Order: sequence, then C-alpha cells, then structure tokens
Amino acid sequence: MRISDRRFALYLMTPAALFLAVFVAFPLFRLVADSFFKISPIAGGPRDFVGLDNYFRAFASEAFMGAGWRTLAYTLVVVTLEFALGLGMALLFTTLGRSSQIWRTVFMYPLMIAPIVAGLLWKFLMIDNFGLIGTLLHQAGILSNPNQIGWLSDPDIVLFSVAIPDIWLTTSFMCLVLFAGLQNIPGDLIEAARLDGARAPAMLFRIILPLLRPVIAVALVVRGIDAARAFDTILIQTNGGPQSASETMSLLIYRTMIRFGDPGLASAMGTVYLLAMLAVAFVAVSTIWRPGKDN
Amino acid sequence: MRVAERTTHDGGTPPPVVAGTSVPTTTGSSGRQRRGVNREGLEAGRRSTRTLLWVLLAAAMVLYGFPFLYLLFTSFKTPIDTIAVPPTILPREWTLENYTNALGRSGVLASFINSIQTAIISTVLSLVLAVPAAYGITRYQTLSGRIFIMAALVTRMVPPVAIGIPLASMMAAVGLSDTPIALSIAHTTISLPLSIWLMSSFFEAVPKDLEEAATVDGCSRLGALWRVVIPVVSGGIAVTAIFAFLASWNEFLFALLMTAIRSQTTPVVIANFQTQFGLDWGSMTALAAVYSIPVILLTLLLQRKIVAGMTLGAVKG
Repeated sequence: MRISDRRFALYLMTPAALFLAVFVAFPLFRLVADSFFKISPIAGGPRDFVGLDNYFRAFASEAFMGAGWRTLAYTLVVVTLEFALGLGMALLFTTLGRSSQIWRTVFMYPLMIAPIVAGLLWKFLMIDNFGLIGTLLHQAGILSNPNQIGWLSDPDIVLFSVAIPDIWLTTSFMCLVLFAGLQNIPGDLIEAARLDGARAPAMLFRIILPLLRPVIAVALVVRGIDAARAFDTILIQTNGGPQSASETMSLLIYRTMIRFGDPGLASAMGTVYLLAMLAVAFVAVSTIWRPGKDN
Repeated sequence: MRVAERTTHDGGTPPPVVAGTSVPTTTGSSGRQRRGVNREGLEAGRRSTRTLLWVLLAAAMVLYGFPFLYLLFTSFKTPIDTIAVPPTILPREWTLENYTNALGRSGVLASFINSIQTAIISTVLSLVLAVPAAYGITRYQTLSGRIFIMAALVTRMVPPVAIGIPLASMMAAVGLSDTPIALSIAHTTISLPLSIWLMSSFFEAVPKDLEEAATVDGCSRLGALWRVVIPVVSGGIAVTAIFAFLASWNEFLFALLMTAIRSQTTPVVIANFQTQFGLDWGSMTALAAVYSIPVILLTLLLQRKIVAGMTLGAVKG
C-alpha cells in the first residue's frame, strides 16, 4: 500500500530527528534538570533539590558575571575584526577578478586547521622570551625589548591576544561568504553608479553594503555564535589566565564542572549561557536580516 | 534574497555554511554568467590600480601564510633550537629529530588511529542520517520538515560544553565510555545539523521532474531517491562528507571530556604535551604539522568542491 507523501517525508526525517532528540535534546534536558540540584561530583553521590539556589549563586559570583562580559567582548572583537578583514579581502579578490582565483584557494587554508593547533601555534608566536612576534617587533625597532608586550601574560590585553588565532582561522570564512555575495551584485547596477559619478566610498557604503546586507547578517550571526562558544584556542593558550583575564563562559563552565566539581552550579551557568545565546541570535537575526523586508 | 544560517567550526575550523539556495553544486552556467557580469562591474580596470591591489594581496598572503610556515620551519629545528632566545625563522640545522621524538612517544600513533576511526564513523553516521532527512525536508516541503530544519539550526547554538558532560555519563551508562563509537556519536551532534543544511541545499538544486519521470516509469519513491537522485547529488554528498570528517578530525572539547586512554584522539594528545611533558615545543610543532598537512592537502586538491559547499546558499539571487 502506498503511504502518503507527507508520511513518507516524516519517515525519512525520523532517524535524524531521533538521533538529535536522544543525543542533543535529552542531554540539554539533563542540563536544565541538573541546574536545580546540588550534586556531589562523586558518581552515585548525593543529589539534593535546591530550587533556584544555583542560579542565585551564579549571578552572585564575580567569576560568572566577569566571564559573561569577557565572552561578549571577545565575540565583538573577533566578529568585528573578521568582518573588516574578510570584507577587505573579498573586495580585493573581486576587484582583481579571475586572475586571483588560486590565491583565494590558498587564503582558505587556515579553515582546515584544528583550533587546538592554531591556538598552540599563536601561543608559540606570542609567548614571552622565545616568541617570534616580540622579537621581530624589537628587531624592527618598534619595541625597546622583545618582552615589552606580554601578549599572553598581561591581564589587560590577554583577551585580545587569545582572539588572534580565532580571527586567523576564520577570516577566510567571512571572506568566502562575502565574496560569494559580491559575485551576485548585478554588474549593471555598479555601472550605473559609476556613470553617475559615484566614488569608491560612496559605492561601498551606498550600494555594495546595503545589497550585501542579508549575506552580512548570516556571516555575522554564524561567526558570532561560534566565537561566543570559543574554547579550544583559549584553553591551550592561557587556560583562562592570567588572573581569569581570558576566562570566557565555556572555560568557566568547564572548570566549574571538572576542576571545582560542582555540576549543579555549572549546569545553571550552562542554562543561562544557552538562553542568552538563543536570545542574542534571535534579536540579531530579526534586526539585521529583516526577512521579508527585502521584497 | 533568502538567507539562512549554518556553519562551521566547532572543533573549530570546519565548515561554515549558509543557507538554502539555488546555487548549483558545481560551477554551473549560472555561476559563470554571474561572474561574467561582475567582471564588468567591480573588477578594477586601470593598470596602476591593479598593480597596487596585487601588492596589497601579496602582503596579505605573506602575513596570512607565515604563521603556518613558521610552524613547519620550527618542526625541523633541533629541540634546543626550538626555544632559542632570540628565535630564528629558519632552522640553523635541519633535522627530523622533533618528528622522531613526537611520533615515537607512546600513544601518539594510537591516537592517529583513533582520530581516523572516530572521524570515519562520525562521517558515515552523519550521511546515513542526513541524506534521507534532507531529502524529506526539501522534496516534500511539509510543516514538520520546516520545523525540523529550524530545530537543526537551533542545535548549532548549543554550546558543546553544555551537553558534553551529560553525554559522557549517558555513554558510561550503556558501557560505551572511552570508545571511538561514543566520541563519534558526540561528533555527529555537531556534524549532523550541518550535513542536513548542506544536503538540503544540494537537493534543492535537483529538478523535481527527475524523480517524477522515474516514478512514472514504475520506480518507488525510495527507489527513485536511491537510483536517480542520489547519483545526481553525489558531488554534494562528497562535500558534506568532507565537512563532517573535518568537524570530527579537528574537534577537541568532546574528545577531552569523553576519552581517557583507549580512545584519545590526536588533538587531546597535542594539548597534553603541554602539561605532561613541560614545554616540549619541538614535538608539539612536529605533531601539529603531521596532523594538519593531510587535511590542508586534501582541501587544496578538492578546493573547487569545497568552495562551492562553503558558499552554497550564502546567497540566493
């Protein structure tokens, strides 16, 4: 007997839906449930219902609020720089046209590198004493001594330093997406603007960027979500230090869970973190992207 | 213009991708046309401008490529030279000592096998689940399909650190802790939503008449999918497979939370060099190079398809 199309489609989706339900939705449910308990880190240890106590503790702790602000700052730095650099490269590739194709490919290579390797590599470049960046800046006469800037040891700048590998890894993504968007701008529109005497800045801000808006929205939201979850690159470079100056939310939750053995508190933090991500992503999508208003 | 989102990179790098679309898998004629139009548009004409732009590009490429080259150079230094003050860019003496040290360390070769196993299982699992699901979503356009693809999108926002621990205890409960299977299931939670989004875009580019003709000829719907549609989207399946593989290959956080000795993957081993053996920078650079070069070469070989996959659907004109 022939089943209806709708049912057939449902059957096709069921295995994947079940997988996500069991391995994503259920763990998430566990996370939220755990956030209401005080849980002993020892397996099979006591588990006492404490209501919203973990949430009160989270919001009362300086570590949690600090990590929240740092995650926000980190995300803004990463996304802003990536957008500026990615747009610059995309415009460069577009204005050079076809002949730059091979370089577009080469430019993509960091996307394939593991974040853990990228973090390690940049740590090696920025580390005190034998880091190459300090040495090169010193030899160029910019720094009076190679250790003048403690890239990873100065609490005031470490949050920016740990962002560098992330920017290095994924500017290519931003560039690729914006490049694809630029290819879709109708040539006659550019020609018309040029005939009207539009100069480069006007062309960029009045024509190109407004037309790219939906593409920009996607790229920013996608990268923003990833940057807000950054873990590997920061863990390997500083482990959140010095003095927690580079401890973002993922690191704090990880440490609360593993190092301080407080799964209840970590779950409450994780729940707040997840809700905040969903809220920000929703607002970003609906304000920047503005679906429907393009028509 | 319609745009949706999805992406890359969890383990950090992989595959970003965006939205449902009409862009064909391979550089089809429409792609070429668009590019053609654009050449008259934004492409710089004057020779002096072009020279300046090339200089800019060269500078950007040097800055962008240098960090990895430095990693390679360092891996060929002697272990002492690796941490010399002040550092040199090129090795004073080229040697493979860092490589023999790194690969000779116990657990390193095993971790490569674990990484390969985990990535392959996870890729197969992702494809087996994502291909039918994406087909169901795009071909039948049902309400449940739309809800499902939005749910998959939301899944991308879940921080791995939030589900890592509950997942690990679930695996322990069924006796799978510290196995490549458990880790590949965890990795599939990252690559499955991505694969569904990617495959949906590829299926959207397939004309509906194709299976209609097949069903008229007496093929069942499943038969039409298997014998007619799948061969058409095989290029898209390959791209999806690469992204799923990379997502697992480069992933670190789940691997850190869910593996101990038996199933440790190489990223965890690389990170452990730092704590366990003090500052063994030489071995770390060598192992990092060995781990990265295969995937970089793979990318360069398949670059066309990968670029198509990454930008697929970012834009729908």
